[in-house]
Amino acid sequence: MIVVRHPFLTPRLLLVGLLLLSACDRTPNDANLPDYSVTSAPEPGGTFISATIAEPSGLIPMIAGESAASAIASNIFNTLLKYDRNLELTGELAESWKISADQKTITFRLKPAMQWADGEPLTSADVLFTWKLVTDDKTRTPYGSDYKLVLKAEAPDPLTFRVTYPQPYAPAMDSWATLQVLPQHLLKDEDINTTAFARNPVGSSYYRLENWRHGESISLVRNPKSTQGPALIERLVSRSIPDTATQFLELLANNIDYMGLDPVQYARVFPSRPDLDQKIALYKELGNNYTYMGFNLKHKPFDDIRVRKAINYAVDKQELIDGVLLGLGEPVASPYKPGTRWANPELKPYPYDPQKARELLQAAGFEDHDNDGILDRNGKPFSFEILTNNGNKQRELSAVLIQRRLKEIGIDASIRKVEWASFIERFIKTGDFDVVVLGWSLALDPDQYSIWHSSQQAPGQFNFIGYNNPVADELLEQGRLELNPDRRMRIYHEFAKILLEDSPIVYLYTGYGLPAIHRRVKGIDNPAPPAGIGHNSHEWYIPEPLRRKEITP
Amino acid sequence: MTKYLLKRLFWMVPLLIGISLISFLVMHLAPGDITTTEAGFNPKASEESRQKLREMYNLDKPLLVQYGLWLERMGTLDFGRSFASHQRPVFWQETDSKGNVTPGLIQEALPITLLINVLSLGLIIIVALPLGIISALTQNRLPDRSITLFVFIGFAIPGFWLALLLMYWTGVVNDWLPISGLHSLGAENMSWWRQLLDSMEHLVLPVFISALSGLAGISLFVRNGMLEVLHQDFVTTARAKGLPEGQVIFRHALRNALLPLITLLGLAIPGLIGGSVIAESIFAIPGMGKLFYDAVLMRDFPVIMGILTIGSALTLLGNLLADLAYAWADPRVRRGVMQ
Repeated sequence: MIVVRHPFLTPRLLLVGLLLLSACDRTPNDANLPDYSVTSAPEPGGTFISATIAEPSGLIPMIAGESAASAIASNIFNTLLKYDRNLELTGELAESWKISADQKTITFRLKPAMQWADGEPLTSADVLFTWKLVTDDKTRTPYGSDYKLVLKAEAPDPLTFRVTYPQPYAPAMDSWATLQVLPQHLLKDEDINTTAFARNPVGSSYYRLENWRHGESISLVRNPKSTQGPALIERLVSRSIPDTATQFLELLANNIDYMGLDPVQYARVFPSRPDLDQKIALYKELGNNYTYMGFNLKHKPFDDIRVRKAINYAVDKQELIDGVLLGLGEPVASPYKPGTRWANPELKPYPYDPQKARELLQAAGFEDHDNDGILDRNGKPFSFEILTNNGNKQRELSAVLIQRRLKEIGIDASIRKVEWASFIERFIKTGDFDVVVLGWSLALDPDQYSIWHSSQQAPGQFNFIGYNNPVADELLEQGRLELNPDRRMRIYHEFAKILLEDSPIVYLYTGYGLPAIHRRVKGIDNPAPPAGIGHNSHEWYIPEPLRRKEITP
Repeated sequence: MTKYLLKRLFWMVPLLIGISLISFLVMHLAPGDITTTEAGFNPKASEESRQKLREMYNLDKPLLVQYGLWLERMGTLDFGRSFASHQRPVFWQETDSKGNVTPGLIQEALPITLLINVLSLGLIIIVALPLGIISALTQNRLPDRSITLFVFIGFAIPGFWLALLLMYWTGVVNDWLPISGLHSLGAENMSWWRQLLDSMEHLVLPVFISALSGLAGISLFVRNGMLEVLHQDFVTTARAKGLPEGQVIFRHALRNALLPLITLLGLAIPGLIGGSVIAESIFAIPGMGKLFYDAVLMRDFPVIMGILTIGSALTLLGNLLADLAYAWADPRVRRGVMQ
């Protein structure tokens, strides 16, 4: 039969040991490598090879849905708007945009004389076509809901695209920075779900598809007709290597230029191999998600705010960051990226204060009546299960550290790890859990209606912890109606404050993204701006003497 | 003989249906479906759109109805399309009206896995046969003991660990072999023989690693078969006739000792289409193991069922082939089949 063996032992740990052991040997490979520290003026050409864990299923992101797809497709397709280096909205295909006085209509003005990679003109008709596609019931996309709110979409002339909403909808701006515009002339007679275009796309951005070896690599080559001007690097190759230990070996052997490291590789392996510093540069960028511990607010005793706060005080966030992320993370106090306008700078996480935790629990009626070290109330010991999905090492380790801290204040917590699909279906959808350790993304748009609004608690919806606060509801509704960034910011600062005070979840941390990039690549912004290291990748370049030898026909 | 063959083939049909029904039900025992795993936890994906997807894939229908629909398609050998977003054909390529070809998932993964497994099975037999014979001839002496020790070490050593060590040694410390993947970048620009050489270089480590663990089984099988035969009367007779020792061993003993190996190889046929997830992940090889493993995690039912069906059909065929080969090789069995 089919042999499927599950990786019980992680190859990575073994690799780390291996590399630490061999800390002093230098690879003879490197003996005649060029000096990568030289710099030169930016020049076009060269090949940049990155490693990814998964291969995208297709290159139409609205259909493919995974992050692997959007990462590659964003080099091929454009959106109307984009986020700049500081995560503020700016135009990409759109030259400018105007919001009507009643905030219901947004009019985009496209840049003139844009072309698809095949030479056909790119106009507002293409944008309208893409909108129709994403809202079509026959399109198998889970992302249609934002666009279905549009009452009327029109393209009165080739450079104007206008959408009207029945009422102001602030997340619309973000949605137009997400929807990648597809070419009408190639797709109008195709079934978008199964079209061969997904494997052979024609776009408008810096690169176009050159070659796709399924399961192995995707290579993109510069698009001379790019609507955003030319990129510098001639060829982007993305190799799919599912195992990060293998990616790491390929990086050491100079075969790839980019991979995302984990904290162990970043903080343990690299410092022990100073010779690697000559050819590989490490970067740190703010992560895109945070890890939290969420309470089921419909279960006793988590409906009691004193209990939730007590647990929040009992968890040492710095210990988690040091222990789980080896210091490569930040505490968070709101569900927004630290340092961006939406994160309220006045909010601070609950400090580690076990004494306060004990007092709060006592006030809530918990005491150790039978002297077994576990608090009890009405004869029942305070014990619960912390649930998390398996395969996420950081969440598992966090749960273990939390378990120990809870034990210290007299709470008996056990840990259970469940496979992802079973976890969602069996526990989250049914609400059959006490406490979960999970993550949410630090989305670029502050609207988190679907996560926190009290109306979003049905099975399959995202407020599965059952958070219900009328004031927060009101603010979430207001935030959706307000398109002015400054007024909107104040709404979400207030919302985050209430959320922190209610403590329906314990914010644990956000981890850094840890890219390692070969030193032959120049032009990288360091330290990384809020948008991350890749925001100006079209300006990266590889000086001619530092390039790999290429096999040409 | 033909009658026997037809009978065996006929009985495979109900057997296959039974296997597929059990597989189908067991597969659905695990909670969740494609809408749980794909964008299931993305706040931008609404529950309504997930429900819509469930209806499109008939996942809202009762289990037996779903099985019936699957069986109906299988009746025309239609393995269906993957649930995952790429919607690729599960088994074989499809061509659309404009002549664009969409390759099937199994079609792409199978040749790769087959190539690696056939090469490693070949390597196993080439190495294990002499090892087994030497072992038997030097029973309980030093060569026998060291061979047994060696094949058991090969069997017991964790493949992924050895793989990483070898990759580090041959790819990073020395520039002897490529580390992972199946082709060098830009391989499409090479001449055909360079391409062939390039692929061979990429296959050295995966084939070696997967062969190493298989040595123990076959070499011990050959050793024990040989030992048994060597003690039989006809070998003594052959020796008594004064035949040279080489002829005794290779013409008389070995042929008889190899009979059980036929069964073993017959049973290995379905194994040829299975790959190890770990080896494929470490070497970045897009083979069957990873395809199946990912399909299970994604709850991609058509792909799971496709691979299981092909796997069970091959198992049954392998058994049949082993029986036929046995009959061909051994007159005693042949007479039994004829009757």
